[in-house]
Amino acid sequence: MRAIYAFGLLILLAFIGTRFLVRKKSLSTLNYLFLSGFVYIFLGLYLGHHGLNILSLQVLAALDPLVSLGLGWIGFLFGFQLERRYLRRFSKNAVGLSVLKTFFVFLCVFGVMVLSIERLFPEQPSYLRFGMALAFALLATVNSPTLLNAAAFVLPSRGDYLYLARFLTSVSGFWGIVGLSLLFSFWHFPQFETHLILRGTLFLCVSTLVPALLGIVFHFLTKEKISEKEILVYVLGLVFFVSGAAFYFNLSPLYSSLIMGIVYSNFTKIQEKLYPLLLSTEKPIYIIFLILIGALWEFRWDWSLVLLVAAFLFARIIGSTLPLPFCRLLLRYPHPLPPIYGFSFLSFGGIGVAVAVSLKLAYPLALTDVFLSVALLAIIVSELLGPKALKIAILKLDSQKVT
Amino acid sequence: MIALVFIFLLMLLLKNPTLLPFTNPDQSTSVALGFILIFAFLFGKQLERLKLPQITGFILAGIICGPYILKFLDTEQVASLQLIDGLALSLIALTAGGEMRISRLKGRLKAILSLVVFQTVFIIGGFVVFGLVGLNIFSFLAANTWSQSLAIALLLGAIATATSPSTTIAIITETKSQGKYTDLILSVAVVKDFVVIVLFALFLSLSSLLFFPDQGFDVSFLYHILRDLGGSMLLGILVGGGIIFYLKYIQREMIIFILGIAFFTYQISYNYGFHPLLICLVGGFLVENFSPHGDRLIQAIEKSSLPVFVIFFAISGASLNLKALQTSWMLALICVFLRGLLKFAGTYAGARIAREEPGVRRSAWKGFISQAGVGLGLAVLVERAFPTWEGGFLSLVVAVIAINQIIGPILLQKLLIRVGEAGTKS
Repeated sequence: MRAIYAFGLLILLAFIGTRFLVRKKSLSTLNYLFLSGFVYIFLGLYLGHHGLNILSLQVLAALDPLVSLGLGWIGFLFGFQLERRYLRRFSKNAVGLSVLKTFFVFLCVFGVMVLSIERLFPEQPSYLRFGMALAFALLATVNSPTLLNAAAFVLPSRGDYLYLARFLTSVSGFWGIVGLSLLFSFWHFPQFETHLILRGTLFLCVSTLVPALLGIVFHFLTKEKISEKEILVYVLGLVFFVSGAAFYFNLSPLYSSLIMGIVYSNFTKIQEKLYPLLLSTEKPIYIIFLILIGALWEFRWDWSLVLLVAAFLFARIIGSTLPLPFCRLLLRYPHPLPPIYGFSFLSFGGIGVAVAVSLKLAYPLALTDVFLSVALLAIIVSELLGPKALKIAILKLDSQKVT
Repeated sequence: MIALVFIFLLMLLLKNPTLLPFTNPDQSTSVALGFILIFAFLFGKQLERLKLPQITGFILAGIICGPYILKFLDTEQVASLQLIDGLALSLIALTAGGEMRISRLKGRLKAILSLVVFQTVFIIGGFVVFGLVGLNIFSFLAANTWSQSLAIALLLGAIATATSPSTTIAIITETKSQGKYTDLILSVAVVKDFVVIVLFALFLSLSSLLFFPDQGFDVSFLYHILRDLGGSMLLGILVGGGIIFYLKYIQREMIIFILGIAFFTYQISYNYGFHPLLICLVGGFLVENFSPHGDRLIQAIEKSSLPVFVIFFAISGASLNLKALQTSWMLALICVFLRGLLKFAGTYAGARIAREEPGVRRSAWKGFISQAGVGLGLAVLVERAFPTWEGGFLSLVVAVIAINQIIGPILLQKLLIRVGEAGTKS
């Protein structure tokens, strides 16, 4: 009964949240916390077993499918936006820049986190430490376009920098999620102690092909003239099914749903019909998801955690800023890319939370608890700093009239 | 059909025992939920092509995939997915209340009351006669005397009187029906729920006295009935007022608001012993009749109701205990037949007294066969009151409901099509 109560409560809170998200269109830190929905993580933490215990562990277990739905929904929406006709509008240079940026951030964070985790958790097995460092590096590569989209309404700049930044943040999640799928596919200890490559490759193929096939099935199901209500049944069912199946096999639900979204959006011709439906359901599902994540968070506070957050953020900022001039040289990019431009990429957004949570749920270990805490704290700090950093970066570049 | 087979084969593959070492069984509920949502919906669509109701397809899909046949859903998963039942029941009741317009019902009040009274009297009376004539029939429930048989017959009769408003409204929504048969069937189903709840409470106390005469007659049940019904109606007025206020002054994100209201209502009613069905019914009724927003309420509910209905009916199918049907199918069949016969007789007599046209007298009974949640809930209460019956009563009721829930929607759909009310609502 508590589960039903909790679910009802979540829906009402989601409603209140939706109203906030719709109304606030300013770029102050507090407004952005509402706009991005991150305030609901705190709310979830308060409602969870560390706070009021309304969302007790028992209730959370009953609401487990909603977390799965949230992850699948984020992945599906992300994939759905990766439409060929949209991506074609960007130059090869821009795509190359997104790859290089991702690579440098990954490298930088991986190096720092391998050393940090080894120092702080020497008692943990090496494959776990290595896996955690990889997960941190992958998490660091993802960005959210939400802040940039909000900035487009608020900041005076309409120049190339903002446009490019919106593209880079839109696709960065793709590389992060693909990387995460590799980690999930090959990191199946103890089952994969033997034939690691073969089994990992097989799992990767399965987690790609099955959702792709389901995307095609979805396309055929919605090809005929059907009502919006029926589309909702199919999309909800398939997202539940794909993300649930991914969790069932300890694979990445984000990746599987992303593949389904990509296949579907590039096949079907009913985007116009599906977009409003996805948009109207996106916000409530997202907020319910964030509240549940807050409640699931095994929050603890010690110095090792603070050090890890600091190391992670430092490495990510370095990886996002310093290599930019070098990227320009490599790609012969037409505009200057000063390091300060990297401050546009601090925000993680919901995709960051989804990456962190999917790993924690697939591998319920003590070290993944640490990972989730560090990840959520780092994400929250980044979201707090993000609006200010973006303003500084874009306004300074505008004032230099380099666009 | 190809999609149905594909998703079915995929699920079969996922449940393959050779893959078990690579799976995380704790994370199997989401995949089961997704599967049942798509499979049941596609199955329902296939049945629709055969001119059968979609919800029969949802229920059959649940039975097939449930814990007794293919075991794609185990008992624990079914129990955990029943979280959605609360939402669905409240949504259905809101819709039912919203469909009842005073202006339409005014002229039919006599027919409604007459049908309720005659169905109730005929069914309970019929079951009592059946119990007393065939004294040995209930021997498996340790009924050794005529008074004990009478007690069981009264309880069975009260439960048999109920018609499922949720199934009725689902079929009406699915067939887009509107008209005098639709109004009559829905109204009678809803009003009978009140009557059944009151009578059941009375019979339960009486049965305790008949089985355990030393305990004496507990009159406190009257207070409980009044409190539960009165409280539910008051809460319903509050809910209705809240919805009217919201529709007038806020109007945003209706789907979320309605879902939130539905769950809160359900939860509050469980915490305080109120009836969620009654609360939402009154709420919907108020919005429809005392504000200009009734249509908007129905539209908002219908936008989000389909996935909820699919899961609700599929899970109700999966939770039907087929073992119970296996053990008591003979007696269950007799009860189903008897109930059908008494429904016909009660409807015929009631319609005749109310001077309804011959068509209503002869065929309206088909609209009252379906049986679901309320009957099951009451049977569970009986089991709690008489633990020495060791599940025998519950098994019998479950078996009867299983059969009625398959044939009831089909009969109602056929009736609405035959009388020309299906497809008349835009």
